[in-house]
Amino acid sequence: MKWWPIRGLSRFLTEKRDYKSDTSVKPMKKIFRRSLHVYTIDVGNSNLLNFEIKELQSPQYNTHRFGIYFADSPRHADLLIILGNPTEKMVEPLMNTVKQMPEPFGILIVEENEIVEENEKNSLQLPNVVGKLKNPEPEEILGALLKIMKGN
Amino acid sequence: MKILIGVFQKDGIEHYIVQENGVISLEVDPKNMYFENYTFIKLRDPIISSYESVRNGEGVFDFRYGPVTSGVGEAGIYHLYTYGERILSVDVDLSYKSRKLDQMISGRDPKEALKFVESICGNFAFSHSVAFSRAVENSLGINIDPVTESLRIVGIELERIYNHLYVISQLALAASQKVLSSHLSYLFEESLRLNKIFSNSRYLKNFNRIGEIKIPDGEKLQTLKEGILKIIDDFKKLYDHALASGNFIDRLYSTAVLKMSDALKIGITGPTLRATGVKEDLRYGNWMYEDLQISTKNDGDALSRMEVRAEEIFESSKIILQKIQILQKIQNFKTTPESMEKRSNGLGYCESPSGTIVYVIETKDSKISDLYISTPSFFGFKGVANAMIGNVFTDFQFAIESFGINFADAAL
Repeated sequence: MKWWPIRGLSRFLTEKRDYKSDTSVKPMKKIFRRSLHVYTIDVGNSNLLNFEIKELQSPQYNTHRFGIYFADSPRHADLLIILGNPTEKMVEPLMNTVKQMPEPFGILIVEENEIVEENEKNSLQLPNVVGKLKNPEPEEILGALLKIMKGN
Repeated sequence: MKILIGVFQKDGIEHYIVQENGVISLEVDPKNMYFENYTFIKLRDPIISSYESVRNGEGVFDFRYGPVTSGVGEAGIYHLYTYGERILSVDVDLSYKSRKLDQMISGRDPKEALKFVESICGNFAFSHSVAFSRAVENSLGINIDPVTESLRIVGIELERIYNHLYVISQLALAASQKVLSSHLSYLFEESLRLNKIFSNSRYLKNFNRIGEIKIPDGEKLQTLKEGILKIIDDFKKLYDHALASGNFIDRLYSTAVLKMSDALKIGITGPTLRATGVKEDLRYGNWMYEDLQISTKNDGDALSRMEVRAEEIFESSKIILQKIQILQKIQNFKTTPESMEKRSNGLGYCESPSGTIVYVIETKDSKISDLYISTPSFFGFKGVANAMIGNVFTDFQFAIESFGINFADAAL
């Protein structure tokens, strides 16, 4: 087998296509047009959304070329992605995380279809919500992120 | 060797769920059986502790990791008791992830309950769905035809492949093998896309139903065959390359060791148990698996667990190709479930990518009146807590990832 980096370069793993999202989202301020740092928080999804976010970081999507980076701390992030509907005990950690976000920031809510109705009572009044996705695949999340950056 | 994986009460009588030689059986009112994990299973405490508990001493403090941190992707907490370097004891808190799904399933129609079952753990959705369906079919007296059973096996093996690819890619990432990790995550995404083509869902959801399965057409089977061959060919090259990398192997070797005696004591199943040298797999008990080769390793460390998973990827692909070959010969795909005698309770199980999933249900007026779920991650966390003791902080990621478990599956 070829030396790894050469193998990777010769195979063109990154896809060249447009990522579109039908969901309407509010665009964020102009300063995020070329760089958006994202922090994801799981508040009680079935691990499926965690997998989709991991997948978004795979070579096919190559989010770095759009200026989308995944931060390790909410204090480094411009956009908070909330995965799932909050369980009882996750409400407080979620609100604390929101408080840690530096201004200006946005919140993108990503939910799963199946168990939403049952947990509706836990829905919270969150500030700066830019959009809500339901059961998205990575390309839809990426489409929504690009829309948030570039405006509708 | 009998392994206890569940305890429940019915009409005031205690029932044990026991796994032995690839078969799950129910032991009713077992007075002469003793298992060390009985109290652990019976209590089902959301806080899982390691056997050794050192919480006090010079400089010992509780390092709380989670629920909001990038190191632990999920909503759960690890309490690592340490004086700075070595981990002395571990508590895992599952309560933050608890969605009480088992309570939501009770009282529902089985078909309606299936979508809740698939929501317990997204990456084991198909295994949960199959185990639950088998329990319902067992109770309602529905006999499954070989075509449906074959397609279920294909689904289970597809789930095993993508989960194992994910685990190995995460292990490579933990060892800073970023190129290997990226190539593997490319294959992981490809396998999910293949799932989507085959079953209309990346995570094989809504594919399996009670008493039946969505029958794919011949074209889909051919695409699946070609896709699997391509993924396995790529994986083989990458895996051979990975084993030649001293840096990578050194990080995994003798990290987070779980001995065979401890694994059996806890009630661990799946690749983690097989990595300690026990040849135990539920696929053994299913006659639909022909000449199944089960791989075992003896060290019980992160490397053994990775090797077992890698070999299982090859075995799974072999099984899928075998089943596709048989299915392609069948012209008429119409399936007719046979009826058997109805019972009030049903037992269903399945070998998920990380171990045994068992459902015991009770039906009343064709609604689920009671259910008991045993999931592999619950035992896996007890295993992780014990395996981490004596390791240093930097081995944390290897310990967690190599077990292939998650909070959603353990907390329900």
